[in-house]
Amino acid sequence: MVSAADTRFHVIQRRLAEVLPGAPAFGGSGSLELLSPFVQEKPRLDPAELLEGKKLKARAVPGDPAATFTAFLDGTQTSRVVQFIAGVSLVHGTVAAVVRERRDRRMQTWRQPLVSRGLYVPRTLLPPDAQAALADVGIEVFDTAANRDLDSIHPLAIQDAALQAVQRHRSALERELAESFIADAEGPLFVDGGISESPSVATSPNAIGVVKSHQQLYVHGDDLPVVLALRHGERSSVTIVKPRTRNPVASWYLRLRDSGGRDPLWGLVRVEMAVPGGSAAETTRRADEVSRWVLAEALPVALPDGRWDKMVYGIRDCEEFLRAIQ
Amino acid sequence: MTEPTPLLGRVVATEKRPNTAHEFHFWTSIDSPIGIGTIVRVDAQTPVGGVLPRVYGVVVEGFSYTDLVSPIHDVLGHDGSPEGAAFAPTQRAEIRLYTAHVLRQIPEEPLQPVPMGTVALAADEDVAIALRMDTYLRPESRTAIPVGVYRAGAMEAPIYLDADFLLGPEAAHLNITGVSGLATKTSAVEWLLSSIFAHFPEQKGSVAAVCFNVKGPDLLFLDQPGKLEDADRLIYEKLGVPAAPFERVQYFAPYTAKGFTLNTLRSNHELSENLTPLTWGLNEVMQFAEVLLNKDDIDAKADAFIDFLQERVIGREFHEAPLSTPHRVRSFGELETFFRDLLRGMEERGGEQWRTHHVATIRKVRNRLSNISTRCAGLVTDDGTVSDLPFGSFADRTVYVVDVASVEEDAQDLIFARVVSKLREHLERRDLGVSHVVVFVDELNKYAPGDGPETYVRKMLLDISERGRYLGLVLFSAQQFRSQVHRRVVGNAGTGLYGRMDMDELATPGYAVLSAATKTKLAILEKGQLMVRHPHFAQPIFVRFPRPAVMRGRDGAERFPQAEEISLEVAVMRSLRTLDPSISLDWVKRVTAGHEEDTVIRARNITMQTRPDRVQAFFESQFRRAAVAEAPPRPAVVPIKALPGDDPYGF
Repeated sequence: MVSAADTRFHVIQRRLAEVLPGAPAFGGSGSLELLSPFVQEKPRLDPAELLEGKKLKARAVPGDPAATFTAFLDGTQTSRVVQFIAGVSLVHGTVAAVVRERRDRRMQTWRQPLVSRGLYVPRTLLPPDAQAALADVGIEVFDTAANRDLDSIHPLAIQDAALQAVQRHRSALERELAESFIADAEGPLFVDGGISESPSVATSPNAIGVVKSHQQLYVHGDDLPVVLALRHGERSSVTIVKPRTRNPVASWYLRLRDSGGRDPLWGLVRVEMAVPGGSAAETTRRADEVSRWVLAEALPVALPDGRWDKMVYGIRDCEEFLRAIQ
Repeated sequence: MTEPTPLLGRVVATEKRPNTAHEFHFWTSIDSPIGIGTIVRVDAQTPVGGVLPRVYGVVVEGFSYTDLVSPIHDVLGHDGSPEGAAFAPTQRAEIRLYTAHVLRQIPEEPLQPVPMGTVALAADEDVAIALRMDTYLRPESRTAIPVGVYRAGAMEAPIYLDADFLLGPEAAHLNITGVSGLATKTSAVEWLLSSIFAHFPEQKGSVAAVCFNVKGPDLLFLDQPGKLEDADRLIYEKLGVPAAPFERVQYFAPYTAKGFTLNTLRSNHELSENLTPLTWGLNEVMQFAEVLLNKDDIDAKADAFIDFLQERVIGREFHEAPLSTPHRVRSFGELETFFRDLLRGMEERGGEQWRTHHVATIRKVRNRLSNISTRCAGLVTDDGTVSDLPFGSFADRTVYVVDVASVEEDAQDLIFARVVSKLREHLERRDLGVSHVVVFVDELNKYAPGDGPETYVRKMLLDISERGRYLGLVLFSAQQFRSQVHRRVVGNAGTGLYGRMDMDELATPGYAVLSAATKTKLAILEKGQLMVRHPHFAQPIFVRFPRPAVMRGRDGAERFPQAEEISLEVAVMRSLRTLDPSISLDWVKRVTAGHEEDTVIRARNITMQTRPDRVQAFFESQFRRAAVAEAPPRPAVVPIKALPGDDPYGF
């Protein structure tokens, strides 16, 4: 007997077979995040306004790295097609987020991790009996046709829409945890990714976002060589990033590891923090200070993760933790 | 009701490393007090047949690793500099993964693989259940003998052996092995004997111990208090064993070759009260002649002649041609007289055979038997004086120590063979005085080796090992290398104790069942720690035992230095004073003046053996008899006929 609260992939697969006995047998796909042409922004340059100086330049971070972060936040997602009904894919998505707190150099879980599972389907594309049967599966169903994600009934477009919905849910969990930590805990929080989504997080002095992906580079084309040529321990001048639908944050590039012999984005991260309210000198001091915090996390390396050049160990620990509890 | 104990870990199983009915794995936090040998309790979460299974196990292996796939990643991460690790703000995720062997599952049926569940340190009552000690700890049928305490974290649980499986009749015998020089083997046996004496149940009968002291002063001060520390006293108190030396100890030692001082390191005059000579005459030795005569000595013809002597000559009146006179052979001296008379008669008659025995065989047997009193001088007397262990009147909870450390190897074998055989005879007849006897033999490598020629002593040890438990004759044996002892001797030992072991020894096949971690622990075992195997224990258990409450041999030798060489008169005085304290040295000198040493010693021996009411009168009377006996001149030596040229024995 399957517990009603059990919504893991294979459980839902069996439940679907029960409520939709006529559906063809399907063993389940692999992870869509790995298999599908995952929706990514097109690589582009998006110049940002300088907050520090008049021209973007490389600045050596003064002082020694200082391990100051008290906690790390990251989230994960997994999406797999669990069944096809009338050619429409039903995607089982799992999202999770966790804050791992560092005490005496050891990582521990802060409060409860958040884990959520759902079925991502374009309801209107399903036959009426299948739509009705989904209510009995015992898992929350998200309609991907009810928003703008579904541009086409192309099977891959349906999966893309599901992936975007799963991604939004993951971001929501991460934001929820970040806001809780900012409100209730003390000390700086290392957030994997940007912090501009939540107003409270984007303005908190304790939230530092570190972005590993560089599909979008917040730099003018003329200044790009400066960023790409940053050496280990150097950062770029601070800019202010103002996404249209999000909150403005201060941002700069920081080279965690020497990229000699590798591509210029190797070991390069973009740091986000709340926009400093003081003078330009205060902005510089704060950016240097936060850079020292981030540089301190270069050890231990996050191997064997393939993104170890940009990923800090605390974030790898979050991912491993979430993998273990799912 | 079991008190809740803090959880220390969780059972874990993977496809590559699954749990079985006899082995399981669990992880703990990195600061848990778990170690090799720790006993743990697993509480399952899913009922089987309406019962939540509970599993007990002992940790046999431990693993530690981090999330690194390859060590090179760590090297790269620190730029090849070990100092770099100190600056890392986060320590890598690290696991302590343990493998445990199942001690017991409850319920015991159906026997299933160990389920997932929580892991906690076993509490006192858990340890009792895990080791099946609960069956013999019940007050109405208690047969528990404390062997030590098991420690884990702050917990300390007593560990008991089952007397029925230690001293019989279910199983019996104990073997202890360990490297020399740590005194673990001797200490463990001394401690265990104290424990047996304190806890052997009344309803099971009486028990005594016979210990052979085979080296130095190891067992020579069992009646003297030793040094104990508070930690030792706590264990004694916890286990209900008096922290005191043995109340009743009797020591036995043969004389030196000169025959008037005892051949023992316990010769200090202060300790002479419970020291008794061990001397045997012809009767006592002939039965065990095989011990001293090897296969080359005893062919079928010689064996037949010895049998004839035992049955027809020794201990009875015998007169037959060509003997010149009737003979009653009761001592080696009288046996020599018999041989001399017989050979003389044969010479005179010119015959080469007597009663189908060839003269060469007779000469050979004479040579070998006569040689016994020389080879075992001090133990075997020419005059037939006997001073022996009190077979027939053994006392309950008494230790009888036979000191053979300083005697020749042949004499050791003889003592060993005869004492054990006599114990067996009396136990078979149920007239020893006690119903159980523990015989402690050290250096089993020497007495019962796995290879080498078959010896009487080894055969006898095998016999005890295989049949002693039915009689109450229990062998406690010890050696440095268990692998070199006869397999049937150690194999029949129901209980095995292991002190610190040599790695070479641990590499032998006999230890293949132990995990690598258990072997490592054995190789570095502290003094006072033992690994215990017992029929009730599904797996070996590590225990601590206290120092024995007796004086260590080394300390005793310093505290009671060996007596200096003394004159014959002083030796006689000291011996006789144990019977009559009024005897003075002047009196002994006066009585013994002008007599040969042999005569004085014989008079002393007879007096000690007879233990007369009027000691002085009896002692003096021995010299009057001696004077009469010595009066006639010895018959002239008759030349013996030349030997045939083909005499294979060459004498």
